[in-house]
Amino acid sequence: MGFLAPWFLGGLAALGVPVFLHLLRHHRAMPQPVGSLMFFERGTQSSTRYRRLKYLVLFVLRFSLVLLVVLAYANPFVRRAAEDTNGRLLLIVLDNSFSMRAGTSFADAKQQALAVVEAKPPTQKAQIMALGGEFRVLTQAIAEETQLQAALESIQPGDGRASFGELARAIRQLSETVRGPIDLRLFSDMQRTAIPANFADMVLPSNVTLLLQPVAEGAAPPNWAVESVEAPAVLSDPKDPKHSRVKAVVAGFGTPEVSKTVSLVVNGKVIATRKVNMPANGRATVEFAPLDVGYGFNRCEVRIESGDVFPADDASMFAVRRSDPERVLFVHAGGETRSALYFGSALEAAAQGAFVLQPMAAEQVADLDPSKYAFVVLSDAVVLPSIFEHALAQYVAKGGSVLISLGTAAAHNARIPIWDGAEKDVREYARTGNPAAVGQVDFSYPALAQEQPGHDNGGWADVKVFYAAVVDAGQSRVAARLADGTPFLVDKQLGEGHVVLLTSGLENLTNDLPLHPVFVAFVDRTARYLSGSERLSGSRLVDSFVQLRSGGEPVGAATSIEVIDPSGRRPLSLSEARTVQSFRLDRAGFYQIRFANGRDAVVAANPDRRESDLEPLAADVQQLWSRSSKGSTAPVEATYRAISLWWYVMLLALVVALAEVVFASGYMGTPREEV
Amino acid sequence: MQRFLDPQVLAGISSLDLVAKTVVDGFVAGLHRSPDFGFSQEFAEYRAYTPGDDLRHVDWNLFARTERCYLKRYRGETNSQLTVLLDASNSMQYTSGPPRKMDYARYIAASLFYLAIHNQRDAAGLIVFDDEVREYIRPSTRPGQLARLFAGLEQAEPRALTNFAKPLKHLESFRHRRGIAIVISDFYEDPETIIHTIAPMRFRGNDVVLFHILDPQEVRPELNGSAILVDLETNHRIEVIPEYTKTTYREKIDAHVDRLRSVARGADMDYHLLVSDQPLDRALREYLSLRQAGN
Repeated sequence: MGFLAPWFLGGLAALGVPVFLHLLRHHRAMPQPVGSLMFFERGTQSSTRYRRLKYLVLFVLRFSLVLLVVLAYANPFVRRAAEDTNGRLLLIVLDNSFSMRAGTSFADAKQQALAVVEAKPPTQKAQIMALGGEFRVLTQAIAEETQLQAALESIQPGDGRASFGELARAIRQLSETVRGPIDLRLFSDMQRTAIPANFADMVLPSNVTLLLQPVAEGAAPPNWAVESVEAPAVLSDPKDPKHSRVKAVVAGFGTPEVSKTVSLVVNGKVIATRKVNMPANGRATVEFAPLDVGYGFNRCEVRIESGDVFPADDASMFAVRRSDPERVLFVHAGGETRSALYFGSALEAAAQGAFVLQPMAAEQVADLDPSKYAFVVLSDAVVLPSIFEHALAQYVAKGGSVLISLGTAAAHNARIPIWDGAEKDVREYARTGNPAAVGQVDFSYPALAQEQPGHDNGGWADVKVFYAAVVDAGQSRVAARLADGTPFLVDKQLGEGHVVLLTSGLENLTNDLPLHPVFVAFVDRTARYLSGSERLSGSRLVDSFVQLRSGGEPVGAATSIEVIDPSGRRPLSLSEARTVQSFRLDRAGFYQIRFANGRDAVVAANPDRRESDLEPLAADVQQLWSRSSKGSTAPVEATYRAISLWWYVMLLALVVALAEVVFASGYMGTPREEV
Repeated sequence: MQRFLDPQVLAGISSLDLVAKTVVDGFVAGLHRSPDFGFSQEFAEYRAYTPGDDLRHVDWNLFARTERCYLKRYRGETNSQLTVLLDASNSMQYTSGPPRKMDYARYIAASLFYLAIHNQRDAAGLIVFDDEVREYIRPSTRPGQLARLFAGLEQAEPRALTNFAKPLKHLESFRHRRGIAIVISDFYEDPETIIHTIAPMRFRGNDVVLFHILDPQEVRPELNGSAILVDLETNHRIEVIPEYTKTTYREKIDAHVDRLRSVARGADMDYHLLVSDQPLDRALREYLSLRQAGN
C-alpha cells in the first residue's frame, strides 16, 4: 500500500483538534438555576465518568473523520499483481488427433479440461481450441462457463494428426492480437511424433505460459498397426502376378515378439489371411497375391488382429478399381517410330498393364475421337489434321490430357498444336558438342515425383539432351529445366485438362532419356498423371486434399460435384458443390466422389500412421517446451498496477461524518433542553 | 370554561384583574349549584358599631330605643376576612416553563381577592414577605381595595430569602379579628419550623391554609446529563448527576411534602400542594369551603 499524494499526510496534525476538544479541554456544564438546593446532593465523580464514557464514542468518530479525510486526500492505493487471474486469458487446447482414440485418452483429457473450466474464476476469460488435423478455434475469449463447457463437449476424437509445431504457430498468431498474458493448458497424450523436426517451431511467445497436462503417464502401451499398404489403384488383370498383389507392412510399437494374423478384406469379406511373426518392437511384411477383385471399385483393407488398446489403427484401407486396360493414343510423325517403341515399352513395363498403347501416324488420326483414350501423346507431331486438332482441343477442355514432345520436326514448324503458344527458338546442343543436362527437376510434380531423389538428381543428372525447343512458359508450370535454364518439361492447364510439353523428343535422337531407367518411371508417372487414374482410386492420408475441379472453368458453366463421406452423408452444400475447388479428407474411410468431368472415384483415407506410435515426449523435452516461453521476462514494475482507494476512504468518511452528526446532536441537545 | 383556569392560558394575560375575573367567572360558571353566598333578609346578629362601619347597616330603631349604636347583620351578609401571605423570596421566581411559581401564586391570590371582594363582600388583605414584610395591605371592603391588592401583587417581585417568623409577628401586630389566612409559598424550610412559626395564627382562631407552590421540575426533575445547579436564594452551586434526581431527590421531596402535610394537619391547618401546571380551581374551591364552614 502507498500514497499517490503523500504530502497531504501533513494534515494528520489536525488530529490534535479532537484530542484537544475531548481530552485536554475541560468540560464546562451550563449552570442551571433551581429554587433551592435543599434536596440536592453533589455528584461530581460519577458524573465525570459518565460524561467521558459517552464522549469517548464521539471522540473516536471525530478522530476517525479527520484521519479518513486526510487519508482520502493522500490518495492511498494498493498494489495488485497485474497478472491476476481476471486479466489472464486461459487457452484450453484439447488434442483430438487420431492417437487420442487409444484407450480412454480422449475421455480423460476432456474431463480434465472440463474440470479446469469449472474451477476457473467466473470472470476469467477462456478460449477453447481443438488440436487435430487442423487447429480449430471453437470459441472467442469468453467468461461464460456454460458456453465453454458446451464447446468442449462438442469436440469429438478425429482422425487427423496433431502437430505441436502447428499449435505453436497458431498461438504465436493469437498472441499478436492478445496483448495480455496467456495461460495455455494443453490436454494431450503428448505424442513424440507430434513434435516438428525443428524444436524452434514449438517455441511459444513470451506472454504465454504453457502448462502441459498429459493424459497418459508412464510408458506407452504396446500397439500394433498396419503401417502401409502397397496395392494397385487400377487393376486390369487380376491374374498378373506382377501387378495383382497387395503388400502390407505391419508394425509394432513397444510390442514384444509375437505372431499375428493379418487379413485382406475386400468389400467386407475376408479373402485372405496370413500369419506373420512380428519381431519385438519391429515391422513385418505381408503379401497377398493375387488380388482377385471384381470390376469397378473395390473397397479393400488390410487388418491385423491386434487386441491392443488402440484398435482404430488395426486396419488400413485402399480402393482398387478393376477395369480393362485403357488405350493411349500415340500420334507420331509419319516416318518416326522410335518414340512409339520406347514409350510403349516403358509403358508396358511400368504401368502395371493398365494401358495399351495405340500408335498412329499424324495423318491417320483425322477420324479418331480422342475421348476414347486415357490420354493422347503427340510425339513430334506438329502438323495434325485440323479436325483432329479441334477434337483434341475439345478433349483437353473437358478434362483430357495430352503429352506433347517436340522432336526434330518441331524445328521446321514453329507452331505447336493445341499449345497456346509458339516455339521461339531451338537449342541444338549436339552441334556444340556439349549436350545439356537436366539441371533442375521439380520432384513435387506428379509426373516427376520422387520421395527421396539421390545425388544424381533422381537419375535425371545423367540424361543428355542434344536438342530442345525453346517455348514461352508463361503461366505454365515448369517441372524441369535444362542446365542452361531452358524449360524441359512444362505443364499447362487448358480447361479441365492438362497439356504436358516435353521440349525434346521421346526417341533417342534428341536426347538419351529413353535409354535411362528414369524414363520408365517418368512414363509410368506421366501416364498415371495424365490418365487421372491415380486420383480415381487408391488411398490418401486423412487431411489431404482432393482437387475436384480446375480453376479455369468458365463462369456459369459450373457443374455439380458430388462427395459422399464415409458415413454416407454429403458434406458439401449445393452452393459448395458448384464452386468448391478442392475437398479435404478429414475422416478415415472411403469417399465416393464424382468429379466435374463426370468421372467417378472412390478413394480411401487413412490416418497418418505416425499417430500409431503412442510413445510420449520425454519428460525433459516437455520441461524444455514448458519453459521455452519464459526466456524474456517483463519488467517487475509492469506486472503490478495501482488501485486507488480514494472513493472507498471518502465513502467511509461520509458514513463517519453522519454518525458524528447523530451522536453530537444527541450530546449537544442536553443543555438546550435544560435552559 | 376549564381552559380559563389553565395556568398556561393565564400566563398570556398581562392584566392581573382580568386574570382574576377570568378565573373566578370561569370557576363560578363551572359550579353545578349556586354557592351559598350573597345577600338575604334572614337576620343573623347585632354587632357593635365600630368606626368605619357603613352607617347604612346601623339599626336606627334599636338606637332610638336604647341610644346604642348597633349594626344589624343578616346571614348572607356575614363577612369574613381573608388575608393572603405571599412568599416573594427568590426561589419563587423559578420556572421550567410559563408561568413562574411567583406568577402562579399571584394568579391564585388575585383570584381569591376578586372572589372575596367582588362576589362575597369579604374583606381582603395582603402581606408580601420574604425575609421581612415588604408590603402590607390591610383587609378591607372599601371601594378601591381590590385595585390596591392587585397593585400590591404587581409590585411583589421575588427577591431575598424566605423567613416566616418576621412577617407572622408583624401580622399579629395588625390583626385583631379572626379570619382566613392563606399562606402561599414554596416552603423550602423544615416543616416543623414552618408549622411552629405559623401555629400561633391558628391558635388565635384563624383558619390557616398552606398553598404549597412547586414547579413540575421541582417535583419530578429530569436531567439529560450532569449539570451545575445554582440556588436562586443563596447562589450556591453544586454539580448533580441525573441518576440522583431520578432517585434520591424524588424520595426527599416526597418525604418533605408528606411531612409538611402531616405536620400541618396536626396543627389543624389545611395543606394543599399546587403544582404550577395545574388549574387554579382547587385553590378557589378550598377558599369557599372554608368560608362556608366558618359561617
